[in-house]
Amino acid sequence: MLVGAAALLLAAICLPLWGMTLVSVQYPEGLRMVVYPTHIRGDITEINLLNHYIGMAEISNDFFVELKVIPVLFGVIAGLCLIAAVVRRTWVTLLPILLMSATAVYGFWSMRTRLYSYGNDLDPTAAIDIEPFTPPMLGENTIAQFGTYAYFSWGTFLPVLAGVLVTIVLWLDLRARNGAGITIKQEAIR
Amino acid sequence: MSQTVRSLAVAAVAVVGLAACDNRMPEVPGEKAMATSDVQSAALATYVKPGALDEYYLFYSGGHSGQVFVAGVPSMRHIATIPVFAPYPGTGYGYDEATRAMLGGFTWGDVHHPAVSKTDGDYDGRWLFVNDNANNRIARIDLRDFKTKQILGPIPNTMGNHGSSMVTNNTEYALVATRFSVPVPNRFEPIEEYAKEYKGAVTGIRIDPKSGEMSIGWQILTPPFNWDLGATGKGPSDGWAFWTSYNTERATGKLEVTASQRDRDYLAIVDWKAAERVTREGKTTRIEGIAMIDPAKVPGVMYLVPCAKSPHGVDVDPSGEYVICSGKLSPTATVYSFAKLKEAIDRKDFSGDEDGIPVLNYDNTVLLEVPVGLGPLHTQFDGKGYAYTSLFVESAVAKWKLPPYDNGVDPKSLIVQKIPVHFNIGHLVTAHGDTRNPRGDYLVAMNKLSKGRHLSVGPSIPESSQLIGIGDGKMTMLYEAFTEPEPHFAQLVHKDVINAIEFYPKAENHHPNAIWTPKEATVVRNAAKRTVEAKIYAIRTYFEPGRIQVQEGDTVILHITNAEQQRDEIHGFAVVGHDKNVIIDPGETKTLKFVADRYGVYPYYCTNFCSALHQEMQGYIEVVPRDRRLTMYRNNDGPMTWERRDPALALSEHGGH
Repeated sequence: MLVGAAALLLAAICLPLWGMTLVSVQYPEGLRMVVYPTHIRGDITEINLLNHYIGMAEISNDFFVELKVIPVLFGVIAGLCLIAAVVRRTWVTLLPILLMSATAVYGFWSMRTRLYSYGNDLDPTAAIDIEPFTPPMLGENTIAQFGTYAYFSWGTFLPVLAGVLVTIVLWLDLRARNGAGITIKQEAIR
Repeated sequence: MSQTVRSLAVAAVAVVGLAACDNRMPEVPGEKAMATSDVQSAALATYVKPGALDEYYLFYSGGHSGQVFVAGVPSMRHIATIPVFAPYPGTGYGYDEATRAMLGGFTWGDVHHPAVSKTDGDYDGRWLFVNDNANNRIARIDLRDFKTKQILGPIPNTMGNHGSSMVTNNTEYALVATRFSVPVPNRFEPIEEYAKEYKGAVTGIRIDPKSGEMSIGWQILTPPFNWDLGATGKGPSDGWAFWTSYNTERATGKLEVTASQRDRDYLAIVDWKAAERVTREGKTTRIEGIAMIDPAKVPGVMYLVPCAKSPHGVDVDPSGEYVICSGKLSPTATVYSFAKLKEAIDRKDFSGDEDGIPVLNYDNTVLLEVPVGLGPLHTQFDGKGYAYTSLFVESAVAKWKLPPYDNGVDPKSLIVQKIPVHFNIGHLVTAHGDTRNPRGDYLVAMNKLSKGRHLSVGPSIPESSQLIGIGDGKMTMLYEAFTEPEPHFAQLVHKDVINAIEFYPKAENHHPNAIWTPKEATVVRNAAKRTVEAKIYAIRTYFEPGRIQVQEGDTVILHITNAEQQRDEIHGFAVVGHDKNVIIDPGETKTLKFVADRYGVYPYYCTNFCSALHQEMQGYIEVVPRDRRLTMYRNNDGPMTWERRDPALALSEHGGH
């Protein structure tokens, strides 16, 4: 299970974390922004072009320090899972869980602040003045002429699943240590 | 009353009755009003709802407008104009350096017969070739971006390139032919010498199979007939080209009379593979730099066969087995069997010659003269065994049965249906109608006159094009549209055959002066050459630089890149007061050149509406008088320095999708 969790985390590095699709009358085919752990993909040029009219900062790979941190974190957690698979100690199993929780908090906090600053710290010299706003993190919404749909994807789901797996391992370990009378095969845990 | 009186009274009543009826109009032959149910089904058959796409592209020749029009079928909506032989400010055609050079100083052309490139005898949707009857040229439009890519000509030894630009089965050649014979090489010879000293020519334009680049392949010197229309063989007739002729009388003066004396003119049959071979073998003489084949001296290349009076169209049926000439001044379509033509050639079954060109025996090559109606001009096919011939004089389309025929068949019985058109039809086109695989669902009649069919627009009247359904076994009038002068022939091409791009991918822009970030924008003055050359970046919604300083008298060369990678984000660049406007599609770079010969300040602005701030997309050219120093350059030379605007979108760092 721990090896599986590590595999999920490593796979997640190549999968999208989060995405947003914007649709309007003149963009019926939609504009897409997809955030991967390592980079941002989609119609970024066009989104930036439209955003500059209201003074939103330019979205670019170089701008996000997260895109350098997150893949490293995923890798480190995967490494910790593997170590936990070998060194069968409860506190070692606890390490990836702690780091995972920290990563999750960091990830969501960073996303929230990014979205807030994108919609609120608008360039005062921009051509069009609009009320500051915070783009939604999840679900369908309307921003100006655009209908938006924001969603999480496998790059987020897999690490969460990995977290569940490691937590189950921890739980099983704890039960075994507390002598619940059930023998757990260490092989399965690995 | 006596018998006499009674008779007189009856006669008087009859006379009064007749007199009362002298306003009565006879019935128009064949014309019937559309029933309500017909109107409803025609409306449904042609209605393409907003947002939906047509099924076919209709490429109309624009005649003396020099352009090509693109419409959708069945809606008949005009979608675009492709400028070819004439400047077109709407797309900036003829204003930038590349298209100006291609036009070669000409401002118009006379486009008659478009031809889509073919593979295995069916449209492959790569290129569209069009002829210029006026200035002896032929052009190639790339159907990937619907832009004219090459204009070849004026083609030497050719005067009035009318019998053009039909392409061969695999687009090896496009056809070119002389309509107005002149002395060859062109020189002064009095018109009295017409029959002897004047010559015609037919030409094969070689097409590079990869690039589509056109060059002159071979040319054949002919008697001074007026070559009219051409066609290419397919299937068994692949490798052969055909042209119709009129004025085989070799007459001058009032041609309407003098060229209409013979009952039969000629169909020319050219073995283009033989023409290719003898050219390669050097059996040619150079005239005006062109390798010219004299068919009298080089046998086996060209043959003639008599053909009903002053024919216009020649068309090869989908199987390639039958060649059909439409006899303009004879109410017949002449159907030849290609197998019999070939047999006559092989057996040397000649009935005479014209200046050494063998004339095949008519009776042994013709299958039938089909009495299609008055003024037959041109024939197309449905792939289901029927031919459709336009009847100019009768203002109708005749549908008739193609061979094979039973022995002793009554030719009149072959006419299946006639439908009136409005008015005086020239060419007609069916879907893939000149290929091996006609689609057999639509026919467009291109009518020369439209008098009174539309809201009056004064005496300068457009032409009418009528859409006729042929899919369910009979011709049904569906719709009519009006087109600017003047469609001759067209190509009706299924949409799946065409793969057009929606913007130019950045990676494909090889213009040496393309730039993709505002940082790369430069203005450089060469004081010695008196030029100012700028690389200009255009994006929603500004130009970088927003000012360009030049000295009065400088030649200004501007390379403008539209850095957008989004469909329909087209920018323009016009210089106010200088008669200059280029339109740059997304991902495209164009070069504009002019002399700044008046000092002052002149705005430049985006002409093609691009966004909410389109109106703000502008800059200034400062033309400094000769006696004043330039303020933006060191020593009036080298790079101009200016304050670049911020924020600068670094678009090059993203790949788009």
